[in-house]
Amino acid sequence: MATLTHPDSLKSDGAPPPFFPEPPTGGGGDDSDRNRPERGNSRSAAFIGIVVMMCASVMTFSALLSAMVVRRGLNGTDWHHLTLPSILWWNTGILILSSVAIDVARRLLRRGRRQEFNYWWTAGTLMGTWFLIGQIVAWKQLAEHGFTLIGNQHSAFFYVLTWAHAAHVVGALVGVFYVEYRALRFRLGPAGRTWVDVSALFWHFLDVLWLFLMAIFVFWA
Amino acid sequence: MALRNRIFSTDHRTIARQYFFLSLIAVIFGVVLSILMRFHLVYPAAQVKWFEWLWPVKASGGVMTPELYLSLMTLHGTIMVFFVLTLAPLNAFGNLVLPQQLGATQMAFPRLNMLSFWTTVVSFLLLIASFTCQDGGPLSGWTAYPPLSALGAIAGPGQGLGQTLWFFSIGVFCIAATLTSINFIATVIELRDPAMRMMQMPLPCWNWFVTAILSLLSFPVLLAAGILILLDRLAGTGFFLPSGGGSPLLWQHLFWFFGHPEVYIAILPGMGIVSHIVSVFSRRPIFGYRAMVYSTIAIAVLGLLVWGHHMFISGLSPYSAIAFSVLTMAIGAPSAVKTLNWIATLWGSRPELNTAMLFCLGFVSIFVTGGLSGLFLGQPQIDAYFHDTYFVVAHFHMIMGIAALFGIFAATFYWFPLMFGRKLNERLGKLHFYLTFILAYGTFVPMHFAGFAGNPRRYADFTTFEFLAPVLPLQKGITHSAFTLAAVQVIFLANLFWSMRRGEVIVWTGDTETWQRSHTPTR
Ligand code: HEM
Ligand SMILES: [Cu+2]
Repeated sequence: MATLTHPDSLKSDGAPPPFFPEPPTGGGGDDSDRNRPERGNSRSAAFIGIVVMMCASVMTFSALLSAMVVRRGLNGTDWHHLTLPSILWWNTGILILSSVAIDVARRLLRRGRRQEFNYWWTAGTLMGTWFLIGQIVAWKQLAEHGFTLIGNQHSAFFYVLTWAHAAHVVGALVGVFYVEYRALRFRLGPAGRTWVDVSALFWHFLDVLWLFLMAIFVFWA
Repeated sequence: MALRNRIFSTDHRTIARQYFFLSLIAVIFGVVLSILMRFHLVYPAAQVKWFEWLWPVKASGGVMTPELYLSLMTLHGTIMVFFVLTLAPLNAFGNLVLPQQLGATQMAFPRLNMLSFWTTVVSFLLLIASFTCQDGGPLSGWTAYPPLSALGAIAGPGQGLGQTLWFFSIGVFCIAATLTSINFIATVIELRDPAMRMMQMPLPCWNWFVTAILSLLSFPVLLAAGILILLDRLAGTGFFLPSGGGSPLLWQHLFWFFGHPEVYIAILPGMGIVSHIVSVFSRRPIFGYRAMVYSTIAIAVLGLLVWGHHMFISGLSPYSAIAFSVLTMAIGAPSAVKTLNWIATLWGSRPELNTAMLFCLGFVSIFVTGGLSGLFLGQPQIDAYFHDTYFVVAHFHMIMGIAALFGIFAATFYWFPLMFGRKLNERLGKLHFYLTFILAYGTFVPMHFAGFAGNPRRYADFTTFEFLAPVLPLQKGITHSAFTLAAVQVIFLANLFWSMRRGEVIVWTGDTETWQRSHTPTR
C-alpha cells in the first residue's frame, strides 16, 4: 500500500488543524493525485448500490409477508377473503408493458438511437404513472366494497403491502422521470446512461416484486 | 462557502468526525440519564430540588415518578444502542479508516454518505423531542413491546405522542442505517485496491463489511415492524393487538430478528479494531487471519438465527426453544476462536502497552466475562429464572455496553491522529483506562448477584420488597461505583478536548501502520 498521509498534518506552519477541515483538493473527497477513474464514481458502483438496495427492499417485504403468514396461521376464522378489484389485473398488465418499453428503450440507446429511445422511454414513464393512478383507483374500489385498513386483517395486509410497493414505485419514478427530463433535451451523457440502466433495473425489480405480490394475493391469501 | 461545505460535507473523514461528535453527545446524555436512574433506584424517596425544576410534573416535590424513571431508562437504552454503539464503531470509525485501508480515497457514494448522516441527526432530534413531550417521554424500553406500546395515549402516561415520536425516530434511523450499509458494502466491493483480494483485506474492513451486511438484513425488518406498529397506533389497525385480531408476539419476532443482529452490529467492528491494534502493537501479524474472517462470518450467520433466545418465556414452543438454544450456544465456538487467536497473537510477544492496546486487552477480558453469562442465559431452563432480572442487565452491559465501548476507546486512541492530526495524551489515557476497567467490573459484576437474588429489572423502585432487602446494600454499592465510573470519564473528555488543540502533532504513515512522530514543534 502506498504511503497515506493525513492532509492536515502536512500543513507546514504547524498550525492546529481546523475543527472540520476543508475536504482535500478535487472536491467530493478525492485526492486528485490518487484518482483512479476505473474505480469509484463509476457504473459498477451504481449497480452494486442498486442491487444492495434491492436486498434491503426484499428484507422489508419479507418481514411484512412473514407477518402476514404468521397472522393467517394464527386463527382461521376471522381471515375474511378479499375480492381483488379487477382493475388490479389491468395495472399488472400496464406494469409489465412499462417494463418492456423501458427495456426496449434501454437497448435502443445502447445502439445510439436516441430519438427512438425517447419515444419508448416516454411510453414507459407514462405507463408507470398510469400504474400508480390505477393503484389509487384500486384502493378506492376496495374501500367502497368495505375492505378498509381497519377491522379486517387480510385487507390491512393488502394495503400495507401495496402501499409499500407504491412507495417504491414513486421512488423509482423519480429516477425514471429524471432520465426522461434529460433525454428529452438530448442531454444524456455517459453518466446519464448509468442512470438509464440503473433505473431500468430497479423498475424491473419492482415489476417482479409486484407479480410476486399478486401471486400471493391470488393463490394464497 | 466554507461553512456550508464543512457542515454538509461529502468527505468521508469529515463525516467520520461528525458521527464521532454525534455519538459523543449521545453518550454523554446517555450516561447522565443512567446516573439519574441509579440514584433513583437506591434513594427512591429522596427529594431533589432540581428534579422538580427539570420536570415540574413528573418529579413534583423533587421525587421522580415511576413513569419518569421508565422514560429515563427508555431514552438511555435507545440512545446507547442506536446512537452510540451503532454509530461510533461502524459509522464513525468505518468512515474514517475503511477507504484508506482499502487503498481508496473516498466512499463509494459520498453524497449518500452525507444524506445518511443528516438523516441520523433527524432521528436523534426526534428521539430528544419524544423525551420532552407534555404527557411524558416514551417508557416502553428500547424493545417497545406491544400491546401497551401499540395502543396510544389510552395505555397510560408517556404512551401518547412521546411513544409515537420514538417510533418515528427509530424508523428514520432504520432508513439512515440502511443507506449507510449500502455505501459500506459498495465501497468494499468496488473501491478495494485492484491488487487486494478479499482475503487480503485488513480485518477491520472485513468486520465493517460483515457488519454492514447485518445492518442491511436487519434494519429493514425493524422498519417494517415500525410501520406496522405506527399504523396500529395512528390508524387503528390491530397488527399487534389481540383486540384487533393481531398478535403481540409477532412484534417480538420481528423486533428480535433485528435486535439480536443489532448486538453484533455493535460488537463486530470492535472485534475488527481489536484484531488490528493487537497485531500492530504485538508487532506481528494476527494469528489465524482466515480463522478470524470465517469466525466473523459465522457469528453473523448464526446471529441471524438466534432471535428466539429473547423469547424463551414468552410462550415459544419448547421445540423451537431448543433449536434457538443450540444455535445460541454454537455462537460460543467462533467467539472462542477469536479469543484464542487474540491470545495466540499476544503469546510470547512483547506488546507495547499503550492506551489503545490496553483498551484492547480490556475488551478481550470483558468480552470473555460477558460472554460466559450468555451461556447461562442461552439455556431456556436457566433463562426462565434469569429473564428480566439484573442478571440480564449485567450480561448485556458487559458484552455489549462495556466491550463495545472499549473497542470505541481503543479506536479513538489509535486513530485520533487521523481525525485531528494530533495524539491523545498517553498518561491521562492510561489513568482513564485503569480506572474505567476496574470500575466497569465493579459496577456490572455485582449486578449478576442481584440477578441471582431475583432482583427484577425495569422496576423503578424495589426497595419495598422484603425479599430484596438483603440486596439493597449491594445495589447501593453499584450506584456508588457507577457514579465514580461516570466521573472518571471526565478524564477522557478533558484529554479529548485538550489533545484536539494541544496534543502532540504526528504523521500517519499507512504502510507500516505505526505512528511516526513529526518533528514539527507543537505550540
Ligand atoms: C455508566 C454506565 C451505565 C450505567 C450505570 C447503566 C445503567 C443502566 C440501568 C440502571 C438500566 C436499567 C435497568 C432496568 O431497570 O432494567 C440500564 C438499561 C440499559 N442500558 Fe445501561 N448503563 C450504563 C451504560 C450503558 C451502555 C454503554 C450501554 C450500551 C449498550 C447501555 C445499554 C443499556 C440498555 C440497552 C438498557 C436496557 C434499556 C431497556 O430495558 O429498554 N448502558 N442501564
Ligand atoms: Cu440475542
